[in-house]
Amino acid sequence: MTAWRQLGWEGRIGLVLLAVLILMALLAPWIVPGDPLAIVGEPLTPPFTTELHILGTDRLGRDVLSELLYGTRITLLVAFFSAAAALVVGSIVGTLAGFLGGFADAVLMRITEAFQTVPGFLLALAAISVTGPSVPTLIFAISLGNWTQAARVTRAEVLSLRERDFVAAARTLGMRPLEIAFREILPNAFGPAASLAAISVAAAILIEAALSFLGFGDPNRVTWGSMIAEGRTVLRAAPYLSIVPGLALVITVLSVHLVGRGLSRNGRLRP
Amino acid sequence: MPPLASFFVKRLLGAIPVLGVVLVGSFLLLEAASGDAVDSYVARTGGMDADQLAQLRQAWGLDQGPLQRFVAYISALAHGDFGWSTAFQRPVLSVIWERLPVTLLLMGIATALAFFLGSLLGVIAGARPGSLRDRFLSIGSLALYAVPGFWLGLVLIVVFAVNLRWLPVGGIETIASGKTGLARLGDIATHLVLPVASLAVVYLALYLRLMRDRMSEIWRDPFVLGLKARGLSHGRIVWRHVARNAVLPVVTMLGLQAAVMLGGSVVVESVFAIPGFGRLAAEAVSRRDTPLLLGVILCSAITVIIANLLVDLAYGKLDPRVRTIR
Amino acid sequence: MSQPFLRVDGLSVSYGGTLALKNVSLELVRGERLALIGESGSGKSTLAMAIAGLLPRQARQSGTIAFPSAPSGLRLGKDIGVVFQDPGGSLDPVMKIGDQIAEVIRAHEDTSWIAARVRAANLLDRVHIPKALSRLNSYPHEFSGGQRQRIALALALAGNPSLIIADELTSALDTVVQRHIVNLLDELVREDGLSLLFVTHDIALASERADQIAVLYRGEFVEAGPAAEVLGKPQHPYTKALIGTHLSLDTPRRKRLAEINPDSLNLP
Repeated sequence: MTAWRQLGWEGRIGLVLLAVLILMALLAPWIVPGDPLAIVGEPLTPPFTTELHILGTDRLGRDVLSELLYGTRITLLVAFFSAAAALVVGSIVGTLAGFLGGFADAVLMRITEAFQTVPGFLLALAAISVTGPSVPTLIFAISLGNWTQAARVTRAEVLSLRERDFVAAARTLGMRPLEIAFREILPNAFGPAASLAAISVAAAILIEAALSFLGFGDPNRVTWGSMIAEGRTVLRAAPYLSIVPGLALVITVLSVHLVGRGLSRNGRLRP
Repeated sequence: MPPLASFFVKRLLGAIPVLGVVLVGSFLLLEAASGDAVDSYVARTGGMDADQLAQLRQAWGLDQGPLQRFVAYISALAHGDFGWSTAFQRPVLSVIWERLPVTLLLMGIATALAFFLGSLLGVIAGARPGSLRDRFLSIGSLALYAVPGFWLGLVLIVVFAVNLRWLPVGGIETIASGKTGLARLGDIATHLVLPVASLAVVYLALYLRLMRDRMSEIWRDPFVLGLKARGLSHGRIVWRHVARNAVLPVVTMLGLQAAVMLGGSVVVESVFAIPGFGRLAAEAVSRRDTPLLLGVILCSAITVIIANLLVDLAYGKLDPRVRTIR
Repeated sequence: MSQPFLRVDGLSVSYGGTLALKNVSLELVRGERLALIGESGSGKSTLAMAIAGLLPRQARQSGTIAFPSAPSGLRLGKDIGVVFQDPGGSLDPVMKIGDQIAEVIRAHEDTSWIAARVRAANLLDRVHIPKALSRLNSYPHEFSGGQRQRIALALALAGNPSLIIADELTSALDTVVQRHIVNLLDELVREDGLSLLFVTHDIALASERADQIAVLYRGEFVEAGPAAEVLGKPQHPYTKALIGTHLSLDTPRRKRLAEINPDSLNLP
């Protein structure tokens, strides 16, 4: 319970919101049975007019609520895995750069800078253009532009850690350099990188939404971004079709930021 | 060499390896894409027989190994040849050149707006950390920070263009309006209001937060106690000292955010049907125009490098400590 | 005896339940130099900051601090100049020294920027910053630690104060520089006939430079009075211990150092 208390009220609100979202994603098939892409009613039913379709129906007569709930799945899945991949890759690169130093460090940091120089969204676009859109490639594409910050933070942490006692002890015990890097240094340097997790997850959600809004998402699945794009074609007649999934996006990103603020409130997050 | 020039040269030299990595990356992407430059050139210009194709491949150095191809690619770039856009049937560079100014204008205004308004509100929040005003602004900025720019664009269109009819739905200017001079400028300005707002809001929130957080740190710095001890007014301490010190890291952020904002302009330009550089990226992908996409990526990397250079120069002017260390 | 310049009566200060200062009273006559001595945590800095009116917001304060000669109170920065321990820490790192001094002058006096900057140059000159006029455009990091503390002194003098409060102003500096600064402060205080309240843990320094000494121990005065009396016939065991540890080790060497006034070595 102390962890809960340490979160502060912002972190608590964020965590509750996030828990609700995860539950919605997990329970989607029970809350809204059936295929979310199935046509179930009159097209363009406004929200809160029938009990059958609380959030109304879209241009083709699909239930907005069930699209929204299934969209939560993709959003959270893609965001979580791409942020995790970015953090892992970033930490590894940062650890290597910080620990090896010298030329390897210089090369790795130039690569990191290069990835920072190209807009992450363009990187994702370029990757999608080669691999084609699907959930795994989206995860890969989004993490491409998202790992650099973790690399920088981990490197800085490693540089300050490598002179500490336990590393010296490992050296005298005869551990090999890379073994020291990954068994002794990385676990200790991972904390600060993990405090970037919230920012990475939030960024991933927004990039995924933007990609699928532009039509570069997985064409076989409903996502919030594609719902907004769908609604855009009837923006004048039925603005709610774009506004509702957008609100879901805002709430999700906000709850991630709130959790992040709660975690970083009392110093750094420890793994 | 005067210090400013030597700084400039040093930074330019530092950017070369970074640009090199970008070049290697984009070359790999080009290799990964199906078909080579000749295929895409021929696709639209019409038929060519096998001999002509082979001749062209030889002329463009495509019949050689990967290393030679890379050298050919680089030397073409060095001569300003960014390749042939299959979607536009024109040299890539001329397409980009045509689209870049609009996006730079959009980003420039959005950055300026976000920076000034954001740090202004940040100062107001950070003037008294923990006050009601501070809490209100902090929560507000957190909420704004979660708003996707493209969705905000749609909401703004619904409210201001569709319902209120105050502002145009999209485009960069009224087509065939025949306006010139100031009238045309005003026309462009009204078209830019909504896209700038959609692009700027996230950064406004970001700069507000940064400024506010930095100020609340600086209040704990001992020199602030010194200022109080000298009997300076609260307002003067806030504006001339605490805000002045806090703005430095915010300025650094300006350069780092250039890349992110360029990415954001892709979607915002698509929402508002602005014929800009960002939308070009989306078009390049959807029309499978790899040379164009690479040109866009290279140019955005160069834009980001230049933006960071300008920010560094500004930072050097703002922080006297940097000037002498160098 | 004339009426006191400063009178503190029954002052107590607490931070969230812990008492930092317990029922302290003291009087200071105009032109007198009072040293507050004690270990760190004894409440000496708290007392100095309370008199300056610079206690943090969460501090709870009871008792009175009065300046009988100025019933409406003294203005911080104008009538009271404060110098802190950390020489760099009390200066804004990104503002020119000249502007920082001129700003203080203009905060308390209706003068033009030009006039204020001329005064700033004079002040830098008074604290022995060489080439004062040209250094107006320098930034704090372009000065040495000792010079920064001189600038802090100039800033404290900018409002023409009648009281200087110095909180451990030399303990962050090395010994030789300490001497310079202490001599300078002494010189300035004597020239203008200012009252001085200085906080130190260095009993040798107090014995040399103070007219009055007050010894603080765990937030209370254990001894107060003329310097010679307190040091010559200490009543309280804590004072005796302080004198025992500091004086026996330090004084002889310091006395020798003090005889060579480093400021007088400045070649023309």
